[in-house]
Amino acid sequence: MSESPRKEPVDKARRVTRRRSERRATSLLSHGEPMVWLTGGALAIASLMILGLLALVLWHGLPTFWPGPLVQVQTHAGRTLAGEVSVTERFAPEPSVVEALPEGVRAAARSELERGEGRTRRRMLRTGNYELSGSHFNWVSDLEIASESEPEWLVLVERLSWGRFYGTPRAITIDGARTEGEPGVLWARFEEHHDEVRARWERRRELEVVEIGEVNHRMEAARLRVRAAELASGVDSDEARAARGESQRVATAAEEDFRSLQAQIATLREQNARYTLELETADGARATLALEEVVRAFAPNRLGTAARLGVYVDRTLEFLVDEPREANSEGGVFPAIFGTVLMTLIMAVLVVPFGVLAALYLREYARPGPIVSAVRIAINNLAGVPSIVFGVFGLGFFCYIVGVQVDELLFAAKLPTPTYGKGGLVWASLTLALLTLPVVIVPTEEALSSVPSSMREGSYACGATKWQTIWRIVLPRAMPGIMTGMILALARGAGEVAPLMLVGAVKLAPELPLDATAPFLHAERSFMHLGFHIYDLGFQSQNSEAAKPMVYTTTLLLIALVVTLNLLAIWIRARLRRRFQGNQL
Amino acid sequence: MNYAPAISGHVFEAISKNEPFPAEVHASLASEAHVLEIERFDLWYGKSRALHSITLSVPRGKVTALIGPSGCGKSTLLRSVNRMNDLIDSVRIEGEMRLNGDPIYAPGQDVIELRKRIGMVFQKPNPFPMSIFENVIYPLRIDGERDRRVLAEVCESSLRGAGLWDEVKDRLNDSALRLSGGQQQRLCIARAISAQPEVLLLDEPCSALDPIATARIEDLIEELKGNYSILMVTHNMQQASRSSDFTAFMYLGRLVEYGPTQDIFLQPHLKETEDYISGRFG
Repeated sequence: MSESPRKEPVDKARRVTRRRSERRATSLLSHGEPMVWLTGGALAIASLMILGLLALVLWHGLPTFWPGPLVQVQTHAGRTLAGEVSVTERFAPEPSVVEALPEGVRAAARSELERGEGRTRRRMLRTGNYELSGSHFNWVSDLEIASESEPEWLVLVERLSWGRFYGTPRAITIDGARTEGEPGVLWARFEEHHDEVRARWERRRELEVVEIGEVNHRMEAARLRVRAAELASGVDSDEARAARGESQRVATAAEEDFRSLQAQIATLREQNARYTLELETADGARATLALEEVVRAFAPNRLGTAARLGVYVDRTLEFLVDEPREANSEGGVFPAIFGTVLMTLIMAVLVVPFGVLAALYLREYARPGPIVSAVRIAINNLAGVPSIVFGVFGLGFFCYIVGVQVDELLFAAKLPTPTYGKGGLVWASLTLALLTLPVVIVPTEEALSSVPSSMREGSYACGATKWQTIWRIVLPRAMPGIMTGMILALARGAGEVAPLMLVGAVKLAPELPLDATAPFLHAERSFMHLGFHIYDLGFQSQNSEAAKPMVYTTTLLLIALVVTLNLLAIWIRARLRRRFQGNQL
Repeated sequence: MNYAPAISGHVFEAISKNEPFPAEVHASLASEAHVLEIERFDLWYGKSRALHSITLSVPRGKVTALIGPSGCGKSTLLRSVNRMNDLIDSVRIEGEMRLNGDPIYAPGQDVIELRKRIGMVFQKPNPFPMSIFENVIYPLRIDGERDRRVLAEVCESSLRGAGLWDEVKDRLNDSALRLSGGQQQRLCIARAISAQPEVLLLDEPCSALDPIATARIEDLIEELKGNYSILMVTHNMQQASRSSDFTAFMYLGRLVEYGPTQDIFLQPHLKETEDYISGRFG
């Protein structure tokens, strides 16, 4: 504290106040100790919450693809259930549960309940076999179980539809020849032929989706040319007639291609129809599965840790690179990853230059005053507008006004089917660009104002114009700060869902927005998005129990994706910093 | 206004009465060829007047030092030469300056072109956030020069001129910001001379440097003398006496005495100058 000279004579009362003030001066508060605890505590709580969230997502997300053992239980009531344990919890059963047990085990159940203070364990088994049982999951409490086993040859089948199937192989039909016998023998036969059947199926998919799609595209293009010619020169003009003739020719040729493709598809289908697998479920029912429907099948109880790890990796890869199936609750999320990354990158490409230019005007050209302050406040407030409002704006302005204009000008032939006049990649990116604009402008302005004025003066003194100074000195020097803005915008944009629902994110997009047909980037297409995917899985799914682990896994993936994008940007920023900042005097 | 009583003379009297007075300009200056002529130059920052009718001519190929206590308008005068004061909104000027006969403050004067004819080095080294090479050739870059050979030649000759070539020739592509303070300042000098300026302005070029770096810059000024006409602001009396050919003493926005450095330091015409030089005030 300051050492003020004592001038007045110090009487007793004064001395007392002085002493008190001295004590205050060295009190805990001024010492700073409580502040350390307060600030440190705030940080600790904040990081605890973030880490807790991450831990939750990791805890639930990571084991999703791990193949656990299959259990088969026999209840006292005589039911047999087989499946994978997906949830284990303790619960307090109703007294009627105990009453319903056969007399012989009631006493044991009561004492079990007493030991557990009225609670006992129950497990949710993923029993699958939906077409036979009508449910995917079944709860079974420990009280009900008469016997439990892990049968060696209980097989888990992941298939294209109807969810999982659990059963023991009883017969296999290879190329029309049916064999019964030991599960082990049958399984060897299955594994021998499964790949070729799947290869045929994939070929068929490709024919159906890509090649027939290409034929359709050709016919559609010819039809559009006719329509365009009619619109441009009238229905009876020579051009329209020529286009119609051409379209006729294209259609005839396409018809032929179409028939030959159909024939190929039919052949593949017939071939595959000669391969089936017969399984017996735990309760003795039989089911015949087409081999081509089987995505993956294995007997979990026979697998060692390495083999389980193999399944884990295989499933994870499928998740990352494959398309979703079963209403998105199974299969992969590749289209969603692709859509998220592409949309975020387009957004960054749109928002960064725009935001930087705006910040440049605000900081470098505008004369400081009430108007500039008002604009700045407005920009900051933009960050507080609910994101769904941006979605509504995007839908109303971009899709229905701009998009409709674009359609009328450039895609008139396709009307009334909208091309740009609906939600799409470009509108979603633009909407998010608008949303993240303040996130870019604010740090950029800060970075611009932190460029030392001595650098600007040096540049002016060399005879540089204002723009040369900005372009060659100010912007490079502010680049790390601008990158910070971009990082924030990427994180914000990649995680945003609400506005996307209105402007182009869909549950299932049949085509990726980037493909091999001109013009390669199809900015008008709807797209899948991981954030929307999470929402869809969590709240719109038919089979919500099966979708739940996927929610966590997809969340984990989205977080990983955002972190990856951020790390990339941070790495670039660090490089720029090394280059442009160095040891400043 | 109240001045230290030890100082007396007509200058302080005139200043305190806010009357104009003629600066004491030594006769030997008249025989020099002048690169820069300043005539009756006034400057206001808003309402406060920073320069009072300064008339001063800078000899060609010589080093001229501006000395005087803080706030006497040395830097303001220097920054008026390349019109850096234009960047400040509230500045208003009157009077004339001519660079090799061309009026600096003529209404149609292109400030950008003018600044390209004048090199300036600032108090604090201000290398740009780019490589050493790009820093040196910056004036050429903004002029649109693209010939790699020309750029490389200018870079080498400027760095040699600034006595930095041997230290940095192997790392021209490194960031200039990683040089030491003294090196950075010499880099700024190299940048200032790379455009072959008609006059070089140094605004206290050593005030942010340690003694060794300062000595090197002074040596450098010695070497540049003859090839360049230098107008230098300094706070350091020894530096002025060592490095300059002519010295102008300024006080409270007025030019007080201007003459060959030896005369100013050894036999000044005015008592005020002597008092300042000998450290009796300032």
